[in-house]
Amino acid sequence: MMTRKEFLFKGSIGLGSIALASLLKSSGSAQAKEAFSTASPLASKLSHFKPSAKSVIFLFMEGGPSQMDTFDPKPAMNQLAGQKVPSSFNVPITAMGEVDSPILPSKRQWKQHGQSGIWVSDWLPHIAECVDDIAVIRSCWTNGINHAGGVCQMNTGTPLAGRPSLGSWVSYGLGSENQNLPAFVVMQDNKSQVVNGPRNWGTGFLPAVYQGSPFKTEGAPIPNLFPEHSLDSTAQQRQSKFLNQLNQSHASQRHNNSELAARIESYELAYRMQSHAPEAVDLSGESEAVQSLYGMDDKETATFGRQCLLARRLVERGVRFVQLYHGAGSKWDAHSGIESNHTSMCRSSDKPVAGLLKDLKSRGLLDETLVIWGGEFGRTPMSEKGDGRDHNPTGFTMWMAGGGIKGGQVIGSTDEIGLHAVEDRMHVHDLHATILGLLGIHNLDLIYHYKGRPETPTINEGEFNRKLMKT
Amino acid sequence: MIGQVIRPNHRHFRALGSILWILALAFLFEFTTKATDLWSFQPVQRPNVPNPDRPSHWQTNPIDAFIYDRLQREGLAPAPFAPSLSWLRRISFDVHGLPPTPEEVRNWDNRNLEDHDVRAAKVGALLGSAHYGERMGRRWLDLVRFAESDGFRADFFRANAWRYRDYVIQSFNEDLPFKRFILEQLAGDEIAPNDPDALIATGFLRLGIYEYNQRDVRTQWSDIINEITDVTGDVFLGLGVGCARCHDHKFDPISQKDYFALQAMFTPIAPRESAPVATAEAWQEFLDQQEAYLKATESVRRKMDTVLDPALKSAIHGITIMFPKDIQRMMTSNPGTLTPLEKQLARLANRQVEYEREHAYNKLGKEAKIEWEELKKELAAFDHLKPTLPRADIVSDIGPDAPPTIIPSRNPENSIAVEPGFIESIPAPSMTIQAPPTAPNSTGRRTALARWLTQPEHPLTARVVVNRLWQYHFGTGLVATSSDFGNLGTPPSHPELLDWLTSEFVENNWSVKHINRLILTSATYAQSSTPCDLSRQRAEQIDPENRWLWKKSMRRLEAEEIRDASLMASGELDLKIGGPSASGSSDRRGVYVKALRNQKDPMLEAFNTAHGFSSMAQRDVTTTAEQALMMMNGNWAMDRAEILASNLLQSSHPTDADRVREAFLLCLSRPASPAEVDLALRTFEIASGDSQDPKLNQERWTEFCHALLNANEFLYLD
Repeated sequence: MMTRKEFLFKGSIGLGSIALASLLKSSGSAQAKEAFSTASPLASKLSHFKPSAKSVIFLFMEGGPSQMDTFDPKPAMNQLAGQKVPSSFNVPITAMGEVDSPILPSKRQWKQHGQSGIWVSDWLPHIAECVDDIAVIRSCWTNGINHAGGVCQMNTGTPLAGRPSLGSWVSYGLGSENQNLPAFVVMQDNKSQVVNGPRNWGTGFLPAVYQGSPFKTEGAPIPNLFPEHSLDSTAQQRQSKFLNQLNQSHASQRHNNSELAARIESYELAYRMQSHAPEAVDLSGESEAVQSLYGMDDKETATFGRQCLLARRLVERGVRFVQLYHGAGSKWDAHSGIESNHTSMCRSSDKPVAGLLKDLKSRGLLDETLVIWGGEFGRTPMSEKGDGRDHNPTGFTMWMAGGGIKGGQVIGSTDEIGLHAVEDRMHVHDLHATILGLLGIHNLDLIYHYKGRPETPTINEGEFNRKLMKT
Repeated sequence: MIGQVIRPNHRHFRALGSILWILALAFLFEFTTKATDLWSFQPVQRPNVPNPDRPSHWQTNPIDAFIYDRLQREGLAPAPFAPSLSWLRRISFDVHGLPPTPEEVRNWDNRNLEDHDVRAAKVGALLGSAHYGERMGRRWLDLVRFAESDGFRADFFRANAWRYRDYVIQSFNEDLPFKRFILEQLAGDEIAPNDPDALIATGFLRLGIYEYNQRDVRTQWSDIINEITDVTGDVFLGLGVGCARCHDHKFDPISQKDYFALQAMFTPIAPRESAPVATAEAWQEFLDQQEAYLKATESVRRKMDTVLDPALKSAIHGITIMFPKDIQRMMTSNPGTLTPLEKQLARLANRQVEYEREHAYNKLGKEAKIEWEELKKELAAFDHLKPTLPRADIVSDIGPDAPPTIIPSRNPENSIAVEPGFIESIPAPSMTIQAPPTAPNSTGRRTALARWLTQPEHPLTARVVVNRLWQYHFGTGLVATSSDFGNLGTPPSHPELLDWLTSEFVENNWSVKHINRLILTSATYAQSSTPCDLSRQRAEQIDPENRWLWKKSMRRLEAEEIRDASLMASGELDLKIGGPSASGSSDRRGVYVKALRNQKDPMLEAFNTAHGFSSMAQRDVTTTAEQALMMMNGNWAMDRAEILASNLLQSSHPTDADRVREAFLLCLSRPASPAEVDLALRTFEIASGDSQDPKLNQERWTEFCHALLNANEFLYLD
């Protein structure tokens, strides 16, 4: 007999969960086995409610940009320059122990921009032109004080490894609108390893089909897309003819085996990807004007500009979740020399990001594409090594645009020196709940059963922040 | 709305107000009062073996009686036995993770599987080989989240972790009674502190992740202890206890107090890095040699110390001041003046100091560094005198007095201290906690936990093990959710069989091989996976999931099996047992490939190898285009095909047809049909006569071999 509670619980899955209806073979459960692959696990699925965004471009500024030098002006901090943080502020544990170090003033020039009059520093003149489409969230906070924990948490909700990334939850929940490309694509601006490596876009306990695929931005974007020992086409035909005959005769003695059929299908998909993936990254059809909008005509902005343009092309083709790492390998991590570090990091990303927003808007894609900007945490008002700033997980800025976001507004605030988020605090879980909500997913109803726990992307926490939405 | 009440979202609870709170609590109360009805918490009772009317070849093994009885009651009939070569390939992979050799295949063809003795002889031989331990060990390594790196930004390689892996493999090979296996992993340091294997076994408690530069020491320490508590629940109890860390478990009868009472078993631990694990004799020998070495090198070491000293002092100072003030005090205090918890925190923080100490030479000035390098060379001249001991990452307790175990609360005043204890709703007698005579400086808590888990009355431990063994051979456990024996898991398909096997296991001194043997020699296991008789369609309709086991289910090979089978086909596989891990590009078996958490071997990762971050009860089986691309275009598979092809060309087989047949034996463990031989020869225009260009010939053979490695039949087991 089912107890009342079990009934209600199981019932609630039936009401809400789209994902359980998806036909995947989940670990530890046999029931979906036979159904496996009668539909691809990445087939497009219905959302819980009407989404305002169809896809996501997450611009990850890796290493932690300084909020008090970009979007969160702090005059009081400058007044306290050179002094210790007053004892009225509760100083948290920091990565490098810069608790007692003197406050570092911001050298930025600040101006209000757009009709909304949102403050942006002179480090980001191009993004400043787009503020009326942007909702700046000044009150973000997270738990991990180090890069590994911070990057892991911004991707998976917790500083400790092992949980699925947001992009893989989205692929699991919504599938993809293009079966010839991965549902979740990751790119990075340089060859350093993103902190923690591939597990940032991994699936944790979700099946690996939902993982992010790293894309190279030139040539063959996917590993092994083409053989290194090039086979001529007759050789390829010979081989696939033989393989098909073997597989057909094998399958014919094993009736209705959907798993075998899925594997044959996966080879066909691989062949289709051989044409679709290179087409997606081929920019020869993009006009010079578009390329220069992204800063591709300038050496400093060309790399990230190219990736931002690729991101647009991918969402245009139905890719669900695109994540771009700018400063891969903690390049925003200005423990010392923040002036030169951030000048260069802002310079190489500002125009490409603004170009992306403008281009999406002019194509009518911004309404259905959620663009997110931010790092794993922000930086401290306290100085480090005289001219840098330490990690600050307790208060930092991110922003969102498009995909149903009400632009031209500022959400939340930090204290007078930018140390702690105080008003409208948004934890990473809240950010994730909001991103999922814009995609039409209720964060507590997207469930995957794993080892006796109904797991959700935001670990049973997280609230959708309605203030961010247009209506 | 209902979902939100049931699923605990702390903020929602607050926001929804008191009415819903009361409703929620009412539901919870209702649940917990019914909790002890949970089937898995009931005592194991050995049932009588049923005796259904069944054919003679289903009469030898009691397992078959249970299965046949159930099939009959469901109106189903078992599948005929598999072709003998299918059974051979199936059992070879299941027990060794390797295909049978062509020799074995040739010798086995047309054996009468219905003869129990024929099966039993093969099973006996397979269980007696050391490859058994490699295959079983890999499954255990999945469960205990085995990996060989730290899993943070710095994914440092753990050079000693292989000793734990080898301990696991060896334990399975020796059929170490499983209750002893559990006891050693939880408390080897307490019950056998002079037994190197028992010490290495405690590496189980050291497999979690570690962040080498985390200054928030208190949080990292509690993360470590939480992780150990959770993994213990997953592995030994088959229960996800993690929920109860923050609140009473919503679905299973585990209270928050139970969780922390379990955690209290681990709160006294003191991790020990690279600790020597040696017998008393080896120790003595080491100490004697060490003395000689230290004497011989005294002057050069002293010179080195002098050169290094300023850099060392500055490095130690630099790292120490990065910690919060209270931690700094602990780090620099005499341990004798610290409480047990402070000692643990100081040790954890001082690992970072140790790291800086080892790398202090990097901070030397240019000239000093040259001088230091010269001295280092001088020192190296004495390396022949330098003794070594095997080392491993293990644990002991911080001392006979344990630190308090606290249920944390947002308001510290509401925190509650909890004593070590045993999950109350589990009907197994509690154990007295006392330091064992072998370890007077320990608390004895972990020994008590292990003894509680492995007493015959415990309803979960042995059931969970036996069910996992069933899963290893049938793909799905009798309880399909093999690490969730709670209310959200699935109840057993054959509860009497599960209890009968559990009783057999416990009565046979927790012998894993005894259960393996019972399962593998059964008629149930010998069934065909592709029965073609008419009854099949009906069975497919009644039981599409094959829950009643009217056939054997097919399965895809696991990542390591695909690797090993490919290397075996190309004749490259190194069959050596054990030793330090090797790179993915080596010819070692998959179980020996370095398991770096942040950088897996791409081939193993693509085919769903374990991630090593938390306990994994069952591998996922995904089918992706990336796998196809990797097998078709990737260099690794192509290289295997090329080597296989050149082996075939250089072999003594007289004809091309013979070579094709040999390739089928190597890759698919069966002879090729005449039509297949013909198809291969025709398709690839293979002819290795003198007229053919040797380069072209090699290419054609490579194409053919590469196709075989990409065939579904290569990847799937009947």
